[in-house]
Amino acid sequence: QVSVINTVDTSHEDMIHDAQMDYYGTRLATCSSDRSVKIFDVRNGGQILIADLRGHEGPVWQVAWAHPMYGNILASCSYDRKVIVWKEENGTWEKTYEYTGHDSSVNSVCWAPHDYGLILACGSSDGAISLLSYTGDGQWEVKKISNAHTIGCNAVSWAPAVVPGSLIEQPSGQKPNYIKRFASGGCDNLVKIWKEEDGQWKEEQKLEAHSDWVRDVAWAPSIGLPTSTIASCSQDGRVFIWTCDDASGNSWSPKLLHKFNDVVWHVSWSITANILAVSGGDNKVTLWKESVDGLWACISDVNKGQGGVSAATEGQQNEQ
Amino acid sequence: ALTGCVAGSGEGGPSSSRVFVVRRDQDIYIQTLRKLFNESHGIFIGLQRSEEELAGRSRKAQLVQVSKNYRSVIRACMEDMHQAAISARDPALHSQYITQVSILSAMELIWNLCEILFVEAAAAGLLLLRLLDWVRLHVCDVESMVREVLSSENPSKHELFWNVVDVFVLQGRMDEARHLLSKEASANPMSVNMCKILDDLMKKMPVPSLGNTQTLTEMELKWQHWHEECQRCLQEGTFASNSHMESICKILLGDEDAILEKKELMTTWYHFLVTRLLYSHPTVKPVELQFYAQACMDLFLGGESSPEPLDTILIAAFEFEMHQVIKECSIVLSNWWFVAHLTDLLDHCKLLQSHNLCFGSNMRESLLLEYASGLFSHHSLWQLGVDYFDHCPEYGRAYLELHIERIPLNTEQKALKVLRICEQRQMHEQVRSICKIMAMKALRNNRLGSALSWSIRAKDAAFATLISDRFLKDYCERGCFSDLDLIDNLGPSMLLSDRLTFLGKYREFHRLYGEKRFSEAAKLLLMLMTAHIAPCSFWMTLLTDALPLLEQKEVIFSVEQTYELMRCLEDLTAGKSDKQKFQDDDVENIKVEMLRLALARNLARVIVKEGTLEGS
Repeated sequence: QVSVINTVDTSHEDMIHDAQMDYYGTRLATCSSDRSVKIFDVRNGGQILIADLRGHEGPVWQVAWAHPMYGNILASCSYDRKVIVWKEENGTWEKTYEYTGHDSSVNSVCWAPHDYGLILACGSSDGAISLLSYTGDGQWEVKKISNAHTIGCNAVSWAPAVVPGSLIEQPSGQKPNYIKRFASGGCDNLVKIWKEEDGQWKEEQKLEAHSDWVRDVAWAPSIGLPTSTIASCSQDGRVFIWTCDDASGNSWSPKLLHKFNDVVWHVSWSITANILAVSGGDNKVTLWKESVDGLWACISDVNKGQGGVSAATEGQQNEQ
Repeated sequence: ALTGCVAGSGEGGPSSSRVFVVRRDQDIYIQTLRKLFNESHGIFIGLQRSEEELAGRSRKAQLVQVSKNYRSVIRACMEDMHQAAISARDPALHSQYITQVSILSAMELIWNLCEILFVEAAAAGLLLLRLLDWVRLHVCDVESMVREVLSSENPSKHELFWNVVDVFVLQGRMDEARHLLSKEASANPMSVNMCKILDDLMKKMPVPSLGNTQTLTEMELKWQHWHEECQRCLQEGTFASNSHMESICKILLGDEDAILEKKELMTTWYHFLVTRLLYSHPTVKPVELQFYAQACMDLFLGGESSPEPLDTILIAAFEFEMHQVIKECSIVLSNWWFVAHLTDLLDHCKLLQSHNLCFGSNMRESLLLEYASGLFSHHSLWQLGVDYFDHCPEYGRAYLELHIERIPLNTEQKALKVLRICEQRQMHEQVRSICKIMAMKALRNNRLGSALSWSIRAKDAAFATLISDRFLKDYCERGCFSDLDLIDNLGPSMLLSDRLTFLGKYREFHRLYGEKRFSEAAKLLLMLMTAHIAPCSFWMTLLTDALPLLEQKEVIFSVEQTYELMRCLEDLTAGKSDKQKFQDDDVENIKVEMLRLALARNLARVIVKEGTLEGS
């Protein structure tokens, strides 16, 4: 039941490591070992190259779109230890910020919920996680969590913004008291949850279940329930679904989604968190759904044959 | 529909630089199904709002009507699809349409059966009549043959004559069978007697009546007698010389083999089932159907073919396994339309026990959520989705919040439409978010006025400040304002940000000046600086604006005011370091000098003026 509706020939000269659709499914950003980041307009089954961004000096591992209220902004991270934030100004894409504070490959970037402002989390092979916050006028503030994961951090994923307490509309300009959290996955086989307290980031939880490097983590969107859900996948071929039932975030329990025959690279949630896409070294992308009895079942798979699949992301794409 | 992208990667090869955009559940994009989605939406909403106070029979009648409405929409869609198939030139497209037609046909078949068994819950007697109607509606392979024979000059001479008589008998269409029989009687004197007897049997066959003219027991009794009479005719060899009529008599007696022999005229096992019931157990009760259904299917298929998904679904229905029906349909059909609407209807009939799914939701809601989510990726059908989410009490709102933010806001109209929906539902976060997005878009396209009004609507002070700065910058560069209407009519929203307030007031200053209300203008100008509404960076411009006022024939600024102006100027220049003063170009320095001169002159004039007594 899964059909290919568009094939974008990116003309990347080497392996593609990430492909992300923007918020509306109208644009596609890809990045590759050929050091470039490309942006395509993919409306109505088309594929028009909008930008070919050069600036990295090594394979680019991930790209991430910021929320459209901040404009057209894309972040990329690379083996060259850099994080670059690109922005579309006057119809052209340009580098708007470059962060070089890591000592090793930066493996993952993830924008925080727009409610927190324009904040980017970056996970690196130097074991640190840096948080870059835009403070205005072209200025960025940096906070670093050193030694977040020994050996290296491979993935970061933010928790959805949930305002604690009542939902009374705040007067304009006043920010509600959000409790900021994000999850990270590392080469220490751990998934960690980080919480901001008094302006400092602290390790809140250590989730142990994997027996090899954690490759990706994905915090599920919220549909208003007090439960939180995180998906993690690893070199060990396993995908776990972690759930925490109480709002204080204290007891997380893992459920094994499946054990695959090969490394699992990516996990990604649908908008309403009812479907999880998993992609792995076995050349397949599979879609999973939780059934009535609490077990996860595979509902579709996309087998694109010849090559492996390296990224699956979900979103919506309107036809215009 | 769920959309995602998948990157092909690998050791070279054609797929290594390709990204595939994939989608699940593509049906919403089929143009000809639009009518289905649009019209069923109306029926759905009507059902949700319908009078629950109606009880018993009237409520049931109402629900049956809703069911019929859904079915007529399916049939209308089938018709459109059929037309589309006929006019399609491309063979691939043609076959696609044909497939769709058969899917819709199957959907209508299943829905119709569910209507009979679940919604109407036809009791014994009525049940058979409904099933007969159902079968008659869904056997079309024989229609052309029937037409052919009936329209021929001598029907009874037609080679397919007896086939058509059989068809009528199998479908319980006794009057039509008898009519044909009379033609045979007139054409063939040899068989007149037999025809008369057979005709008599057919005429006397008891059928369940719609009215209350007889009870079930009465009917069963009559039927028993009639059955025995048919038996006698057969045993006495009344029809021995005409194999056709003999076989018909056997059918009337419910002889399984005789009926099965006419397989090709029935084409489906469920036709066989109903025919069998008609001639062996016409007062069958709903709960008894399950004892016949599977057996009839097995007999009919006879091990030659295996059941298809449709067959499994129908069996589940005959066995009153509602949940099974829904589950099987969910698996087989490529979109959620059918199961979502059917389940909703069954839920209104109070037939579904609530199954607690993992999220605590029930089946009705989870199917509606799936269906509505699918609608959201369509550029116009998403609006229907909103209403469906509205009627999902547990998660509808959360789903709506998540989906509505992803609708591309290509045009102002669309944005306004989305906004209205959010505002109606007090979805404040989404309203703010959308307004901010539109403001950013407008700013990117240099439409400052639009950007400003969006940021005001978003109550986004920071952005309003940013845009106000742009306006002011534009003014400095070009000497005039754009979007005057907007700025002039800011009203209380001016207070959103200090910079915006300044912008509004500054424009007011210009208006006053333009209307030659100089002393008011002067007062305002001064206030802008002394009340620190104006940013320091703008003071020089304001002071420069004061120049023409200072140069007027008539003295405008009072002594107080002039001293204030001077103080402002000194504050401004004192603030700069010597280095800065050195770096300032000549124009700046000249301006300052001119101001000092003008201020001094004004001071002189106004001291004299104020010092002079009236009349002297």
